[in-house]
Amino acid sequence: MAPLASRKTNLASRKTNLASRKTIIGGLTVIGLIVLWFVLTTFTGLVTGARFPSPAEFWLSLNQINGRGYAGSTLASHALHSLKLVLMGFTVAVLTGVPLGLWMGWSRRAEAFINPVFLIIRPIPPLAWIPLAILWLGLGDAAKILVIWFSAFVPSVINAFTGVRNIDKPILEAARMLGTPRWRMVREVILPASLPMIFTGLRLSLQASWTTLVAAELVGALVGVGFVLNMAQQDIYPGMILVGMVTVGILGWATTLLLARIERQALAWNVAARD
Amino acid sequence: MGSISFRNVDKVFGQGTGGVKALDDINLDIADKEFVAIVGPSGCGKTTCLRMVAGFEAASAGSVLVNGRPVTAPGPDRAVVFQQFALFPWKTVRENIELGLRNKNLPVGERSDLVASALKLMNLETHVDAFPHQLSGGMQQRVAIARAYVLDPEVLLMDEPFGALDAQTRVVMQEELVRLARHNPRTVLFITHAVEEAVYLADRVAIMTRRPGRIKEVLDIKAVREREKWDSHARIEDVMDLESFVHLRTHIWKSLREEKGFKDV
Repeated sequence: MAPLASRKTNLASRKTNLASRKTIIGGLTVIGLIVLWFVLTTFTGLVTGARFPSPAEFWLSLNQINGRGYAGSTLASHALHSLKLVLMGFTVAVLTGVPLGLWMGWSRRAEAFINPVFLIIRPIPPLAWIPLAILWLGLGDAAKILVIWFSAFVPSVINAFTGVRNIDKPILEAARMLGTPRWRMVREVILPASLPMIFTGLRLSLQASWTTLVAAELVGALVGVGFVLNMAQQDIYPGMILVGMVTVGILGWATTLLLARIERQALAWNVAARD
Repeated sequence: MGSISFRNVDKVFGQGTGGVKALDDINLDIADKEFVAIVGPSGCGKTTCLRMVAGFEAASAGSVLVNGRPVTAPGPDRAVVFQQFALFPWKTVRENIELGLRNKNLPVGERSDLVASALKLMNLETHVDAFPHQLSGGMQQRVAIARAYVLDPEVLLMDEPFGALDAQTRVVMQEELVRLARHNPRTVLFITHAVEEAVYLADRVAIMTRRPGRIKEVLDIKAVREREKWDSHARIEDVMDLESFVHLRTHIWKSLREEKGFKDV
């Protein structure tokens, strides 16, 4: 028993070693990139400030937008505004898309009705809706929420639909055999069984929401991170462009992380999600 | 009460010239509280027989009756134990067992009493709050059997319930099922391709031909079992050594061997 047990712990410690080694390597890569940034812009001047900002310029831009503000307001209010729009558009898309996907997955008739509409609309990139949305609703929030809804809706629908269609047949049969009434079937069987796929859809929807929002704000907006990027481009201001890019990156990363945490909570029963 | 009758049942999968006849003129009557096993080569349609009683498939011709009434849809009066367990992975052991009782709108108190006795029956008391993925295959199938038993169904339909288990677990489960079936007899239709399992568990064994499946022969095991006092032996291996057991097993084996395409063990 003893050698076997020790071998087991060896294996376990090797696994943690591997994990910590991974974080170390990852950290080194990031540090290396930052050093490279310094070297290319500040120390050697191989890349001039007109092409890409040096760390110092980035820092100055960051201070400017945090203090005096840029493009009409501070970074925090630009970021919060963008975040608000993404969350609103994403939420509307999920609340409409997931039920529709579940319904299409469950009912062949619903699929037959709705699928043709989908096939026509799907090849149109969501960003192509931006001009029409602005024409309809102007440069305000409503147009952006509409466009985000368009782009985030599709992955939510498709993955919920696929989730229902991929449910193990015996699970549905077991539920029917147990005399499960219709509404309980949806709530306690269909929905949880498709939840892993639904979350895959939500992740894609969230990514699409950010992409679309930035694009919409680039085209026409009065506030928001995309607007900052647009202004900085017109001002030929690389430092501020980088500030906008980094801000979008951090916002996207943070919301994705939040979603992943919710997913882990919701799918605690799911083995596949744990590994 | 729970009887099952197959009356001149045909089953064809697909339509027109592309249709494949799976079952041909099945006739079988299972009496109340009788345990009948169907054995046959793979693809002979034995599972289809069970699925028709469950209400998952409709007969193409003839009729399938439970208590004299034709089967129209699945329902808790005909509990099914599936080969792949078919538990709800997002529900705990208790919630899995309780769902059918909630569907019957039983009051909470009655429900928890019934669940408690089902847990006890299948030795699951210590795993009440576990999720299925935390249990071994044998344990999962115990939950599935408890989920079926707790419904107090008129008939119990078991579709190769031990087929996905390892050999040791399988033997334990077979012994437990015998214990359940003898102490609390109910109508069981049991599908298997393991001959010894069928002889050990069933009152009668129906042998099917290869596709299109027909009932070739029905053997009365119960008469032999009672005459030779099989149940005085607690262990399956002791029963399997008895001459009367070996005789029946060999008979079924030979009968199945005549069907091309039968390969097992």
